[in-house]
Amino acid sequence: MKSMIHRSVLALAAVALLAGTSTVNAQDKSKPLKKYESGTKEFWTHPPDDWFLGDETEAQKGLAPPSGPPTGASDAELANIVKKVKLPAGFKMEVYASGVLAARQMAWGDKGTLFVGSFGLGNVYAIKDNNGKKEVKTILKGLNMPTGLAFKDGALYVIAVDKLIRYDNAEANLDKLGDGKVVYDDMPSYAAHGWKYIAVDKEGWFYIPFGPPFNIGVPPTSVSQIRRVDPKTGNAEIYALGVRNSVGGDVDPRTGKYWFTENARDWVSDDLPSDKLNMISKLGEHFGYPYCHQGDLPDPKFAMGHKCSEFTPPVLNLGAHVAPLGMKFYTGDQFPAEYKNNILIAEHGSWNRHKYQGGRIMRVIVGPDGKNAKQEVFASGWIEGDQGYLGRPDDIILAKDGSILVADDWAGAIYRISYSKK
Amino acid sequence: MRIVRFGLLSAAILLTPASHAADNAAIKEKAAVCAGCHGENGISQTENIPSLAGQPDQFIQWQLVFFRAGSRKNEQMQPIAEQITNEDVRNLGAYFAAMAPPTAAEDKDPDLSKKGAQVAVGRRCASCHTDSFAGTKAVARLAGQREEYLVKALHDYKSSQRVGGGGAAMADVAYHMSDEEITAVSHYLAYFK
Repeated sequence: MKSMIHRSVLALAAVALLAGTSTVNAQDKSKPLKKYESGTKEFWTHPPDDWFLGDETEAQKGLAPPSGPPTGASDAELANIVKKVKLPAGFKMEVYASGVLAARQMAWGDKGTLFVGSFGLGNVYAIKDNNGKKEVKTILKGLNMPTGLAFKDGALYVIAVDKLIRYDNAEANLDKLGDGKVVYDDMPSYAAHGWKYIAVDKEGWFYIPFGPPFNIGVPPTSVSQIRRVDPKTGNAEIYALGVRNSVGGDVDPRTGKYWFTENARDWVSDDLPSDKLNMISKLGEHFGYPYCHQGDLPDPKFAMGHKCSEFTPPVLNLGAHVAPLGMKFYTGDQFPAEYKNNILIAEHGSWNRHKYQGGRIMRVIVGPDGKNAKQEVFASGWIEGDQGYLGRPDDIILAKDGSILVADDWAGAIYRISYSKK
Repeated sequence: MRIVRFGLLSAAILLTPASHAADNAAIKEKAAVCAGCHGENGISQTENIPSLAGQPDQFIQWQLVFFRAGSRKNEQMQPIAEQITNEDVRNLGAYFAAMAPPTAAEDKDPDLSKKGAQVAVGRRCASCHTDSFAGTKAVARLAGQREEYLVKALHDYKSSQRVGGGGAAMADVAYHMSDEEITAVSHYLAYFK
């Protein structure tokens, strides 16, 4: 298929060598910038080897991505999580399904199948409800980080780093989905910030994030953006620029605008910069990366004369290292009326903060204009001690009855959170 | 009545979460299959086969899960891993983690080790594998591993035959390593004490 976007061979990526200190201003600006030549094929197949480590200070050394239990949480561990998680009055959490290893984005089939993507394991799952008993089937194996999913016109769409694959008539063929058909592949193949998420708009186009293959650097022109892709034709447009690593978003039911979560750069400090909730008001908006973070923090190296006022500020700063991923507008009727059109965000939690934060579900209360947003904790209790997880929420989907389901890739489980008046 | 009592006792052990299955007969039997290649006591005597003794519990578990899912490919390991349950995975992780890790022999090429030490710093190995290279959680123990196996593993990562966990960190690191670096760092780690 032909795409409207061509990879640039002009862009030059440069990554700062940060000095051994954790404060922004004290960073040694005299050190030269590392340079990467993105005009080579190699850059696109093998990104810089320091994309998540390498910019850390001496005090930050040793902070590395934690890894959960490979076989997920046991029944006893899940029971403990259910007991530990705190919710507002009237809400209740239960385990919807377990054994959904590395569970990421969820999507509903028309006939009630819940499809679930996964991270490094390469699996896609289908969960069927057999009279209340959940059957978890692995329907696809061996894909490259199939984190993002969508379901449309009877077809399951899976995005696996550099391939958007369509599986027709999926619910009738759970046992033999076949190889599917690649409908869009103008995407770099590297793993670094290459895992993706899909949000479907009213016209049936997909919003898809493209992360840069490094922590901080001037991105080549084909990444650090949100694209809008038509799965029917493979046509695509660049919808927003200046975006770092986004792995979640939803279309506002009130306005049709796309809102998305964004993970900020690493290795400035434990408390800077903040991760963000953004709203795209018009095509081509720039959200600041790598020049400006959290709407008001020029990058110590990469601001390069830019002012934060040049860029679209976030709707809300969510906090540093909280790792906001999947999000949904609450459009159901089960929760109390004041939740209507609030945004629920699954925070995956920190990996390189000395004391983890996030690892919870936040509720954002905000009007359609994005002004005066405020947030409060909706569900928390997955973090234990300074650097321990019981689980890590990463996506949210509404169920027909107005309850929500939450995916947890650490515990390998899906939870259900429901509300009933006392 | 001795038999009856014995029966009750086994049931009690199975129901107690604290009694980890490392010393359980069933897991020993399963692990016997591993010993054929990975060696008695988890210390490999076979070329290109890694020692498992003292590897972190989660690392063993992840590799078994990767083999089972097919995201790590190996003709010998995949058919074996496909047959094991989640419970086996947990038990085998605990079993090998509890074994005494291999101790490195005398280093006959300290100059090469010196070079390897520089590579390890430059490639930030200790950031994940820890300063003692004993590994932690999902990250492998490297200290005392078979030298030619470390070379093989790095080449597998370099050629994208193996991806690994941690967001493909090893594939990204190894790709940029030269053969000289791989030789040196493998030697350094194999003899690291």
